[in-house]
Amino acid sequence: MVFSSINFLYYFLPVVFLLYFTVPSRAKNLVLLVSSLFFYFYGEPVYLILMIAVSFSGYLHGLWINRAKDGRYAKLSLISSLFFGLAPLLYFKYTDFLIKNINFIFGLNIPALNLDLPIGISFYSFQILSYTIDVYKGNAKVQKSFVNFAAYVSLFPQLIAGPIVRYTAVESELVCRTHSFRDFAYGINRFIIGLSKKVIMANSLGELVDIMARSNEKAVLLYWLKAIPFMLQVYYDFSGYSDMAIGLGRIFGFCFPENFNYPFISKSITEFWRRWHISLGTWFKDYVYIPLGGNRNGTGKWLRNIFLVWFLTGFWHGAEWNFILWGLYFAIFLSVEKLFLLKVLDKTPAFLRHIYTLFFTLISFVLFNGNGLSECFHNFRGMFGFLDISFAGAETIYYLKSYSVTLLIAAIGSTPLPKTLVTKIKDNKTASIVLNIFEPLVQASLLLLVTAYLIDGSFNPFLYFRF
Amino acid sequence: MRDSIKNAVSAILFTIIIFGFSVGNIISPDIDISLSERRALAQAPKFTINALLNGDFFNELEEYTLDQFVLRDRFRDLKAFMAFGLLRQKDNNRIYIVNGNISKLEYPLNEKSVLNAADKISGIYNKYLANINAGYAIIPDKNFFLAPDNGYLAIDYGKMSEIMDENMANVKYIDIFESLSIDDYYRTDIHWSQDRLIGLADKILAGMGNSKKASEIDYVQKALYPFYGAYYGQAAVKIDPDTLIYLTNAALENARVFDHYYKEYGSIYEPDLFYGIDPYDVFLSGQKPLVTVENPESTTNKGLLLFKDSFGNSIAPLLLAGYSKITLVDLRLVSSDALDEFIDFSEYQDALFLYCTQTLNNSYSLR
Repeated sequence: MVFSSINFLYYFLPVVFLLYFTVPSRAKNLVLLVSSLFFYFYGEPVYLILMIAVSFSGYLHGLWINRAKDGRYAKLSLISSLFFGLAPLLYFKYTDFLIKNINFIFGLNIPALNLDLPIGISFYSFQILSYTIDVYKGNAKVQKSFVNFAAYVSLFPQLIAGPIVRYTAVESELVCRTHSFRDFAYGINRFIIGLSKKVIMANSLGELVDIMARSNEKAVLLYWLKAIPFMLQVYYDFSGYSDMAIGLGRIFGFCFPENFNYPFISKSITEFWRRWHISLGTWFKDYVYIPLGGNRNGTGKWLRNIFLVWFLTGFWHGAEWNFILWGLYFAIFLSVEKLFLLKVLDKTPAFLRHIYTLFFTLISFVLFNGNGLSECFHNFRGMFGFLDISFAGAETIYYLKSYSVTLLIAAIGSTPLPKTLVTKIKDNKTASIVLNIFEPLVQASLLLLVTAYLIDGSFNPFLYFRF
Repeated sequence: MRDSIKNAVSAILFTIIIFGFSVGNIISPDIDISLSERRALAQAPKFTINALLNGDFFNELEEYTLDQFVLRDRFRDLKAFMAFGLLRQKDNNRIYIVNGNISKLEYPLNEKSVLNAADKISGIYNKYLANINAGYAIIPDKNFFLAPDNGYLAIDYGKMSEIMDENMANVKYIDIFESLSIDDYYRTDIHWSQDRLIGLADKILAGMGNSKKASEIDYVQKALYPFYGAYYGQAAVKIDPDTLIYLTNAALENARVFDHYYKEYGSIYEPDLFYGIDPYDVFLSGQKPLVTVENPESTTNKGLLLFKDSFGNSIAPLLLAGYSKITLVDLRLVSSDALDEFIDFSEYQDALFLYCTQTLNNSYSLR
């Protein structure tokens, strides 16, 4: 089930609210667990068993690691938990990639398995790993209640597209959490903002990307009109989902970590990755980069660590070479920036740094969006006029005009400008009162508008489902 | 307003909306057909364990709840308002509006489809019509008049005509592009208005070498109101309805219409169908594979085979001025290979292929 669906908004959510807020505190995790399992079952009936099995494995390994304390068996249990935690992810996500490449290299014809990727497996696998590693390192206490642990793994607000919530982030809230009108209202506001970002902005941008991708017109502008809206679409899609997850989490008494912080205002690629998919970046930093030694063992090993982490980051996003290349592309920029470019950028005017970051981020999304390497390079050639095509055609100009307001709103909305404006208004007492009157009305209007979009169209997939 | 009150209002409003619509959806009776969208709405899915496990049940449930959502049409209005009014999109779901006239983008030109249509027509000519006087005319869609001057995408109509011309050597072309204007079409519908077609019928008759004229016949206008055309529901924007006018007289009232598929007789005009899903069904009862209209008061013995899409239903009664009978063939509903099972081609002197540009651009439905 996706958040941006009629069934979630008008059937699933009311029932869960009703159950959750009427049962006593000790039964709330059970309600969350059962509703989360149903939420998952709705979209992936068959793979529900897999998720329960992986959760149970993580739960048992936590107990074993804890029982073995610091001994040899603790390490063995940790290795076992890594194996059982990663095996389903590797099997379902990467087997066909492996087969395809073996076939290519050795000229074989091994048939692909064509497995459907279980929704959210990349997210919940990493959450379980963070738990067993943290228990092993003594950073987290073992969870003795399977209901609590399974509720953590399957928690529907963040189950299918993150943010990657580490066990330590919600450890205490799983046992004891408070609920308040303030949190409920904050959660609603955040949820509706995320829902609007997804349904109104991301889906509209997605339509434009789709139209451009299907067009037979050959024009330089068309390639740009495919690339820029796609970059914005991914931002609105993914950050919208994170907003919804954080909002729903708050309604149920959880404080999930932030996942986006206006990435497009970054002045370097390094800064961009501090603002984009924060939970994934910090996960790889804490569980791969730092354990490998980080930047402590000389430039050579530091570079190795960076390239390895970004290879894995790219590969996590998808089992295709363009995703790996996408990760390594960032590894190059991050290395070069840390080696010398950041010092140069510091002396460069801010607007040039913005242009530099946006341009190379945009290029990265062309790589990200390509269906295979040849399509990526074809798109690059189209964008930079190497295809011997005209600059613009009738269709491109028509859709540029048609979506100009959407693109403008999307661009402004991806900056802190609207938030700054609201904060400034709140500084004025009278204006703040007016704003407080309008805020609930705007929320209600947005919810109805989202409902209108959902009813009118069926273009509604979450991009991050495939991860 | 204090923050605590704002929080309470936010929470209450949100709760009212999600619980209100939830209860509203459950207690409101299911609707079979959406008149505005002219389609059957999804009904509650059947529950089976197999459907549950393979995901079909939930997929169908999703369609059902979307289709049966209370105030569905009002929500579609709201979305259209957002798209046109606030986001200033030029079209919404490919529907656009120029001065209260609704049209749908038809772009780009699908040359393969046009060629397919030309091949289909040539094939029929070669197989059945070698001894018959055959012609064809292309009906411009509304985009021909609305799109180029108002910044909307329009197909290359010249190229379409060229492809047809190059591939239809034995069938003569009757150019009607210049005989029509946007005023000849309904504002809320894809079709042309019959009361505006008398001159065009004369031109087609002349093009077929027929000396009779529709303009020499006396017709009585009958009006049906309000006519909400096919585009009206798709546009989800408030626009004044059209008036559906049909031209009749004693001869047309007495004409016999034979439906070859159901083997039954009917009338040229069926005003009762105005109140059905598609009011345009008033003309010859809408889409039928094969019908023959016989003119009891005809002064000629000529027969016309009219290969057509839905546009043909409203002009056929006017073309009857020049023929004793017209058989209308809808190749979207009957295979061209089976025509000789129903039609004795020796009874016809003329054959006319009359298709709208949209049909030619999406011709793979022609069988």
